[in-house]
Amino acid sequence: MAEGWPKKRRLLGTKVKRLDGPDKATGRAKYSYDVNRPGMLHGVMLRCPHAHAKIKSIDTAAARKTPGFKALVLVLPAKDWIVVKAGGDALELRSVPNKKKKEKEEQRTVKVTPGVTILRKNKVVAVADLKPDDVVQVEVPDDAVGRELFFAGDEVAAVAADTEEHAEDALRAIKVEYEVLDHLVVEEEVIKNPKKKTTPGALEGNYDTTIKDATKGDVEAGFKEAEATVEGTYGVPVISHQCLETHGLVAEWDADGGLTVWASTQATVATAAALAGRFGLPPAKVKCVTHYMGGGFGSKFGPDVQGFAAADLARRAGAPVKIMLDREEEIIAAGNRPSATGTVKIGGKKDGTITAFAVDCYGSPGYTGGATINLNLMPYVYGDAVANMARSHKVVYTNAGVARAMRAPGHPQNCVLTEFAVDDLAAKLGIDPLVIRRKNLPPNNPKADKVSWAGRRHDIYTEQLDLAVKLSGWNEKWHPPGKGKPGAVRHGIGMALHTWGGFASGSTTPNECSVFISKDGTPTAETSTQDLGTAQRTVTAIVVAEVLGLMPTDVLVKLGESVYGFSSGSGGSTTCPSQAPAALLAAQAARDDLFKKVAPKVGADPKDLAVEAGKVVDAKNKKEWGWKEFCGRLGMDEAKGRGEWSLAISNEPENANISSGQVGGVQTAEVLVDSETGVVRVTHMVAVQDCGLVVNKLACESQVAGGVIMGLNYALFEENIFDKHTGRQVNPDMEFYKLGGLRDMPKITVHMQDMPERGVIGIGEPPTISTAAAIGNAVFNALGVRVPFLPLSPRRVLDALAKGGK
Amino acid sequence: MNDSTGEARSGPSRRGFLTGTGAAAAAAAGLRGELAPAAQPNPAAPAHGPGPVLVELTVNGNKLSTTVEPRVTLLDALRNHLDVTGCKRVCDRGTCGACTVIVDGRTVYSCTMLAVEARGADVKTAEALGGDRLDPVPAAFADCDAQQCGFCTPGFVVSIRAALDKNPKATPEQVEAALTGNICRCGTYEQMRHAIVQLCRKGG
Ligand code: FES
Ligand code: FES
Repeated sequence: MAEGWPKKRRLLGTKVKRLDGPDKATGRAKYSYDVNRPGMLHGVMLRCPHAHAKIKSIDTAAARKTPGFKALVLVLPAKDWIVVKAGGDALELRSVPNKKKKEKEEQRTVKVTPGVTILRKNKVVAVADLKPDDVVQVEVPDDAVGRELFFAGDEVAAVAADTEEHAEDALRAIKVEYEVLDHLVVEEEVIKNPKKKTTPGALEGNYDTTIKDATKGDVEAGFKEAEATVEGTYGVPVISHQCLETHGLVAEWDADGGLTVWASTQATVATAAALAGRFGLPPAKVKCVTHYMGGGFGSKFGPDVQGFAAADLARRAGAPVKIMLDREEEIIAAGNRPSATGTVKIGGKKDGTITAFAVDCYGSPGYTGGATINLNLMPYVYGDAVANMARSHKVVYTNAGVARAMRAPGHPQNCVLTEFAVDDLAAKLGIDPLVIRRKNLPPNNPKADKVSWAGRRHDIYTEQLDLAVKLSGWNEKWHPPGKGKPGAVRHGIGMALHTWGGFASGSTTPNECSVFISKDGTPTAETSTQDLGTAQRTVTAIVVAEVLGLMPTDVLVKLGESVYGFSSGSGGSTTCPSQAPAALLAAQAARDDLFKKVAPKVGADPKDLAVEAGKVVDAKNKKEWGWKEFCGRLGMDEAKGRGEWSLAISNEPENANISSGQVGGVQTAEVLVDSETGVVRVTHMVAVQDCGLVVNKLACESQVAGGVIMGLNYALFEENIFDKHTGRQVNPDMEFYKLGGLRDMPKITVHMQDMPERGVIGIGEPPTISTAAAIGNAVFNALGVRVPFLPLSPRRVLDALAKGGK
Repeated sequence: MNDSTGEARSGPSRRGFLTGTGAAAAAAAGLRGELAPAAQPNPAAPAHGPGPVLVELTVNGNKLSTTVEPRVTLLDALRNHLDVTGCKRVCDRGTCGACTVIVDGRTVYSCTMLAVEARGADVKTAEALGGDRLDPVPAAFADCDAQQCGFCTPGFVVSIRAALDKNPKATPEQVEAALTGNICRCGTYEQMRHAIVQLCRKGG
């Protein structure tokens, strides 16, 4: 039986300053980008400048002669070969067929000309070094000929040189001839030319119309039943993660053939494992370090092409290599949030009941990938209350970089498409949109545990709506759309709801944490998880300190190294709810081990011992020892404990209040819209968020406010814009890809709805979901005219006003 | 770039472009490896390079020296050659403020200044605000949780420090005005406002 969270809490749920705050604020914290290893080389990537092309020829000879040049790799699939015969300039090889995949053995003869690179055991070798049965990897430049590249930015090669400037010189000296092919980068063009094929895969064109989700009820009957029906087309663009620390890593091989990388990653363990797989190393031979991390938001779960390239360059050059993407590469090639455009028809009654909902939408994940919204969650939040619906989604492939998870993948798109339609319906019905929201909340599931989200979600949303109404002054401030105070600058208020599944753990393999207590009383906690800026380091310290009667600053937290046991990637808001319990169990086990080891030395029974703030007490025998004094009795020994947490462990009934998943939230936005210039200014945001057992109130509130700000940027500023003629993104930067600064920000009121009985729940993703929809609805409320597409730029606002006929 | 007369401060100063003169700037943004037009030497300007040039400067009170090619920015000289990494490279073209440092008392985007321009200069980075006594600006950031990933933070901290040095009685609005050139992706602005209020209350 798990002991669970302490009943009396000194630290949990209080406001604790981040342990690494001063180090980060004064530049002392070393991010992966900041790692400079002795003898380190700088690597850069060569990328295809065309939106769609084939490599006709590639000549690297001149590049290899540039000053400071050290190594070059071509981006090609890695493959192991077995040497059959080696001699002179000829190499006979056979493949290692994967029997499970029913592969046949291949034969290959390679003429070893300059430019051909042979690697054995991750070292460059000559033909003369080889003997039959050696396992080798062989890079033949001609293999790159004919390779098809699918977006402007697709990786072709990488070089390393002694300085970054020299690396760029070498890159410029690589001669590539491309056969330029037709491209499509604008989604509407794909729809207009459904048979035109410019992307990979078996489809006839770039337009996949097959994704349909099941309908429910009778949508036609639902629309007949409606007292009002509206139809609108709404959309959100492709946006970029814009992590301030770009993707990349530093790779260093050691004398024993082991590999260490300092990577900017949300998954140290998975990154190390991927590199081990790529370079044929046992997992223990690869170490991934991420002590500090400059933002990921869902885009950094593995080494990526440039990470493999850096490690490959390092093995060839015999020196550490750093590749960090530049801003342009970060935007065009390191993931994005996919677009969604949908025609939504919604019908309802004056009492707020939604009688029918139909959505037909499409979006682009780039040149490959799948659906861009969560169709089975439509209509978003209200799906379980709506009886009749029809849903379909189409995928539009474009010659652009591929989408990756971005902070609540699919949800912000779902939210905009649904919530815009809800407010448009309310306007047509002539009612406050709050009435529709209250009327269509998902019901509590009577079969679910009363403590859980499913068992009480209707109640939670109702309370959240009440709080949001109060904190925003909704009842005083809301007016029918466009009916606020007249004047050039109009006031509006809007609302949106969100939901997030989340889990108590990101994997079936248990997440681990270990705690060691030394004789000077210092506890050390070790975990491989990473701190993305979520204050995970501080979370671990708080939990350990709570259990051991200490302060968070007394705890030494070592995190972000793949060698400290298993941890899953930081995705789906699962890090805190898996790591906090693992730290709890580890600290409790270490404490028990301490009692067991020291009790005999102080003449006590471990069973009688307990920790209080700064001391160990034996209440039964009325004895107590200072923490340090007690730990000092460990002598040469140390106390240790290990904790593990997985979804299965979390799901055991006795653990229901240790960690769980699933939350909802309500946000309101208040805006001023200048109807002459089209400028939208958000003046106040309210975010009400349920959050389970809060570990660190300070960091938790930061997460929510940060999510709101990310949503505000989505609403007002962000968009990847492509030029249909050149096929290139015109704003892969930070000046024409806008992100708000301090003075663009509203006042943000965060209300955390603590529910400690539900255990720890992750909070990274949910608070960014509904912000953009709330702002869009506020603009509608201000103008009485829907601005249907994000971002709500001045031009879009003015266009909508012009069309709105006012 | 064959001159160090400050021309680089006026045009777009992305490192790739610095290999040419102003003409290169007309090439618009390009991927790494795409050819920039060849440099047009300006005969009137004093010549440096193309080989490495000795750069001596004071960084956070320490006299440092390195040799870098004239095209190397102050940011890259600090980060890649002198291992001073508190200034971050984020946009590398003067829009985000993550590379902000104080050069002879003036805040500059170190990605838009060439290292050779900073010869003999007194450079202060965020690291100068740490050490034994934590400066009130980073202290306020830590107190108010005005940072998440923290990658933007040194830039903000340096900008605020400079603003308060210039006017210790600055109001929060004036400090905010000094931060128009800094961007945070994690969205720490609400907490940053708390930090600024705390700082202004204490008079910098
Ligand atoms: S890196 Fe210099 S302003 Fe962005
Ligand atoms: S704290 Fe991450 S970018 Fe500002």
